[in-house]
Amino acid sequence: MKDLNEMSQTDQESAVDVLKMQARGVDVFYGAGGRTGSAAGMAADLAADKNVTHAIKGVDVDIADKTVTAFIGPSGCGKSTFLRVLNRMNDTIEGCRVTGKVTLEGEDIYDPNVDPVQLRAKVGMVFQKPNPFPKSIFDNVAYGPRIHGLSSNKADLADIVERSLRRAAIWNEVKDRLDAPGTGLSGGQQQRLCIARAVATSPEVLLMDEPCSSLDPIATAQVEELIDDLRSRYSVVIVTHSMQQAARVSQKTAFFHLGNLVEFGDTDKIFTNPSDPRTESYITGRIG
Amino acid sequence: MLSILTAIVVLGGLGFFLGRQRAIASAGGDARILHSLPVYYGTNVALLTVVPAVLVLGVWLIVQPMVIAGAAIDLIPEQGVTQAGSRDLVMSDVRRLADGINTGVERGAFTAAEAASLDTATTDIRAVLADVGVALGTDVEPAILAAAQRSRQMSDTASTWMQVIVLGLAVAGLTYAWLRTNKDLRARNTVERAILGLLITASTLAILTTVGIVLSMVWESANFFQLYRWQDFFFGLEWRPSFEGGSELGLIPLLWGTIYISLIALLVAVPIGLFAAIYMAEYASRRVRSVAKPLIEVLAGIPTIVYGLFALITVGPLLRDYFAAPLGLGTSSSSVMTAGIVMGIMLIPFVSSLSDDIINAVPQSLRDGSYGLGATQSETVKQVVLPAALPGIVGAILLAASRAIGETMIVVLGAGAAARLDLNPFEAMTTVTVKIVGQLTGDTDFSSPEALVAFALGLTLFAITLCLNIFALVIVRKYREQYE
Repeated sequence: MKDLNEMSQTDQESAVDVLKMQARGVDVFYGAGGRTGSAAGMAADLAADKNVTHAIKGVDVDIADKTVTAFIGPSGCGKSTFLRVLNRMNDTIEGCRVTGKVTLEGEDIYDPNVDPVQLRAKVGMVFQKPNPFPKSIFDNVAYGPRIHGLSSNKADLADIVERSLRRAAIWNEVKDRLDAPGTGLSGGQQQRLCIARAVATSPEVLLMDEPCSSLDPIATAQVEELIDDLRSRYSVVIVTHSMQQAARVSQKTAFFHLGNLVEFGDTDKIFTNPSDPRTESYITGRIG
Repeated sequence: MLSILTAIVVLGGLGFFLGRQRAIASAGGDARILHSLPVYYGTNVALLTVVPAVLVLGVWLIVQPMVIAGAAIDLIPEQGVTQAGSRDLVMSDVRRLADGINTGVERGAFTAAEAASLDTATTDIRAVLADVGVALGTDVEPAILAAAQRSRQMSDTASTWMQVIVLGLAVAGLTYAWLRTNKDLRARNTVERAILGLLITASTLAILTTVGIVLSMVWESANFFQLYRWQDFFFGLEWRPSFEGGSELGLIPLLWGTIYISLIALLVAVPIGLFAAIYMAEYASRRVRSVAKPLIEVLAGIPTIVYGLFALITVGPLLRDYFAAPLGLGTSSSSVMTAGIVMGIMLIPFVSSLSDDIINAVPQSLRDGSYGLGATQSETVKQVVLPAALPGIVGAILLAASRAIGETMIVVLGAGAAARLDLNPFEAMTTVTVKIVGQLTGDTDFSSPEALVAFALGLTLFAITLCLNIFALVIVRKYREQYE
């Protein structure tokens, strides 16, 4: 573990300051109905409304390239909601409103000119519960490339699928049964299949919402190893309930509490010398 | 009959209170010591009082007429039976006479003693009974009278015995259960078993009814096939029944009409219903959904005869005037197309409602997964949701198909009653169900092939829809295994 952290440290230093995504003053409201209006006015308006749930309150986060950023915090603190802000998955929830500014490589992703569908191809997502489509393993991985027309012919597609499966460290287990249904794999394999599926569209950022919460320790170890591996190409954001996991895999950690971002900084610092008393209480197990 | 049932129920109620009381008393008034709640002890006693008594009563009521009929028929000379045609006919005479005499006694035509000593030689029984409003078909023969008298006498005795035995059983059950009631009796478990028994009985009855329906159809169909060659029925291309004999009863034209009309109905219902379901499940906001879904389901509540009227007075003439006549395809307002379209409209809510439920059952995580990969909504529906829901949707379509095959009223009013083998969809045709009704309504002789063919048609139809339903069930079951 110590080695890993040291290694992370050096890697992170090499990649430092290459900003991938930036969030400034992000608020998220649930139950906002079909309300529209100017962003600034609406945020104040919604915050005052008792019937609206104010899930995220003015969060600022910087996500660096080729870095694993972990979001930790107790249940219901808004870390998953914030993760879904980053690829506009909240758009699919009725009555959800996001205000503030989120940029991907300097471009505002909530700008009306941005197509959320295109955005999600660049910001891939892996979910808490493995959710392979009821298709073959091959078709699961080929799904993204097919929709986005990333391959020019069959051989090319097969190549993308193989590369993605290799990158997700599952190729050796499934290479002989690519036609078997993805739902027939074990939980850990399913989750790695889902990671392969997300990687297949060559995203720039990979969002992972508690990817190990339904896995056993062995599968968790495999996925964690994989996350560390993925860092060489992507910027990874991971939501986790396990503080050990955050400490193991991430270089940056953000601690959320009751919809507020309490503390954001280097993982080492958060876990060894937190500046906020709430962070300290949480990581030592007193609140949560 | 009614009085004896009332008595049993009253005894059961009494047992309930006695059992409850005894249980509480055995616990010294503290219900917490009891193994079960007091109400279970009461129910336990009531059950033991009512259930055996009612079961015996039921069996008795079935067996008694059989035994009496067996004894009464012995009094009729052999030639009397052959003369009347069959045993059943004689027995129905005997029964009618016995009932008539009973009614006569009730209405004061003669006293009970006179009734017992009636004689065909001295009394014109038919005239006397006619005076009190009981009509007999023929003059009473001595043998029939004797049989009727014996059956009256036997049923009197049997009724008395029945009352004694059934009530005795109820009282015995009550006493036994009451005596056994104490604080350690596991009354709750007994009641649980009784409920299990009730549930099993209900499901068995449902299955037995199906078996009974099939058997009665098979029986009558077997009679039909003794009178009519099965090759001619299954492969005959002509449907020309005539009650003077020499009918041609070929299944093919009717089956063709059924399949043709059902096919058109499904061509209308499946796309519209499925697209409506997709809109409802995937695109519509909650408010639209809460209004539109019940509106679509109103269609399912319209009686089919009303759809038939719609076909007859609106769709039929419309199709004839604007499509069939200009295209030179016919001048009939009854047509396969009319019935098919209207039936399709009827089936829309079937397809949409079932498909909607099935699409909603597809886990949200699959949609999230697809959106998370940058798929649009329609790509997600087409490539993830529909394939996942497909087995269930096929099941829904097959259920709609078996509904279409069994439909009668819309066909009668929309497509007419002429059996015809034709490809022209603007021509009148008819279906199996319509012909079943046609062959059995009016003055029919139930021993002629022209009437019995209805049962063979019914059996064929049943076999077809059964196969479709089984197919649908198999597919739906396969679908259920998918996300476990």
